Amino acid sequence: MYLAIREMRFAKVRYSLIATIMLLIAFLVLFVTGLARGLAYDNAASIQNMDATHFVMEKGSNHRFTRSQLNGQALAQAGVIAGEDNVQPLGVKMTTMKAEGLAGKLDVTLLGIRPEGWLMPQVTEGEGIATGETGDVLVDRKLKDSGIGLGTVLVDQASGLKWRVSGFVSHESFSHSPAVFLNEHDWQQLQTGTAARPEAGGAEEDGGAYSAIAVKANKHQAEQLAAELPDDEIVTKSDAVSAIPGYKEEQGSLLLMTIFLFIISLFVLAVFFYVITIQKSSQFGILKAIGTRTGYLVRSVALQVLLLSSASLMVSILLVQAIEAVLPDGMPFRLQASTLAYTSAAFIVMTLAGSLFSVWKVTRIDALDAIGRSAA
Amino acid sequence: MRHRLILNEITHTFEDGGMQRTVLDRLSLQVAEGELVAVMGPSGSGKSTFLSIAGALLKPTSGEVLLDGESMAGKEKQALSDMRLHKLGFIFQNANLIPYLKVEEQLMLVAKLGDMSRAKANDRIGELLHKLGLDHRRHAYPEKLSGGERQRVAIARALMNDPAVLLADEPTASLDAGRGMDVVGMIAREAKERGKSAIMVTHDERVLSLCDRVLYLEHGSLIEKY
Repeated sequence: MYLAIREMRFAKVRYSLIATIMLLIAFLVLFVTGLARGLAYDNAASIQNMDATHFVMEKGSNHRFTRSQLNGQALAQAGVIAGEDNVQPLGVKMTTMKAEGLAGKLDVTLLGIRPEGWLMPQVTEGEGIATGETGDVLVDRKLKDSGIGLGTVLVDQASGLKWRVSGFVSHESFSHSPAVFLNEHDWQQLQTGTAARPEAGGAEEDGGAYSAIAVKANKHQAEQLAAELPDDEIVTKSDAVSAIPGYKEEQGSLLLMTIFLFIISLFVLAVFFYVITIQKSSQFGILKAIGTRTGYLVRSVALQVLLLSSASLMVSILLVQAIEAVLPDGMPFRLQASTLAYTSAAFIVMTLAGSLFSVWKVTRIDALDAIGRSAA
Repeated sequence: MRHRLILNEITHTFEDGGMQRTVLDRLSLQVAEGELVAVMGPSGSGKSTFLSIAGALLKPTSGEVLLDGESMAGKEKQALSDMRLHKLGFIFQNANLIPYLKVEEQLMLVAKLGDMSRAKANDRIGELLHKLGLDHRRHAYPEKLSGGERQRVAIARALMNDPAVLLADEPTASLDAGRGMDVVGMIAREAKERGKSAIMVTHDERVLSLCDRVLYLEHGSLIEKY
């Protein structure tokens, strides 16, 4: 440790240059990770906010809410297995709407829920919706930017149905489109209005038609559901989220960027320390000749890497938090403590891996080189 | 009289282009306490090999090296490393100080490696630097020192752990005549005063008068000439 710290003190410029590069890379890693998490949340917020562990969907729907159609029978059956309180019907439909009095159209996702159930989001402004009242909806706050306010009437382009905005919710979206919540009755009305598959439901006497059933179930119950509902499939929440259109693609490319940044930092560090180690090989030879153990020198190199990477990481964490504070509200950025912790850990591990090559080199240096050498 | 370094029938051979080359041929040498032995010889005569074997850096093909009565034969790398740390003091051709350590830190490093207590190390550093006339250079980096000063620091570093044997590899190669005499004079004096056995490999005939014995390495053995 004696050597590592004194060398860094002596070659300040050299080590601060590499620390700066590491800082920038660490910052980029954290920023892209935050952006990826932010986009993920922005994309699938409504599903992620749901307190469900599994979703029951129609077989062959490929885990997609928008493709699946279930009837009330499935809901009743699921209720028997998982418990009446642990199942909630859910309707999901992406559509285009017009707001009365406003030019332009809006892409939204309609979510049909039971207002008394546990899928009901927190109302942040205005009034909630209830089962008895029809024609009222809750919309995501983001729609305010399009000029929608309390009482605005929305017209569905496909069915021509009209709803009045009674309240706002925040952070509710599906496939990046703002969510519009309606009660079960309005949802069924929408289904009968546009139903093309009467056999799959849509008829009120069947008990309604839904896209999926949100379930709170343990592993055992999930297996039982799969066995009891042969025509349907049980999808975990994370699978359902991944199947949201665009979700996997978006996350995939961001993940690729993050992985590349890790690999780049690995190589930058590996090359830097390797070159420095080669430069110092005669010094290492001398140190070994006067009786320094190889383990001591290896620890010295590893300590330098650890100091550099953790110092760079700490500064970049501060930077990212400063940036996060000044980012505009609309920017999807989300860096939770847990994400921050494992990204930082991965970064440190990567940099240490980058030093392995140099460590190997140090162990190969022969003390014999020190004798008969004219240059240090 | 005690011999702190004894080389018994050392033979060293290696393969060179399919030919078996014998660098050292049943070489024997005993260096007494307080004695400085100069080893001369043309390039390629095996001076470096000789010094590497005496310095526990290279294992001879056959023969035995005894350091303070302790044999090096059959020792593991780490044990040899510890032996170099505690029993041997190296003085290299160009001083070969660590560029990022100040003068006192060069010595402190050796003390730390040898697990010397801090107080004792500080005393010893003070004493050695004073003795070698480096008091005013205590906090200087090697790049700020003159060639002679650097070599004096190297001598102090070699003496730090109070070794049995001093090994010097052409310590005057990069110094002018006056400085060279000073440096070898110091090595001779330290060997005498502290009862160490010292070997110096050199080309420099001017400093031979300061040595107790002058040996020539020819055909793999050491020959005494007067």
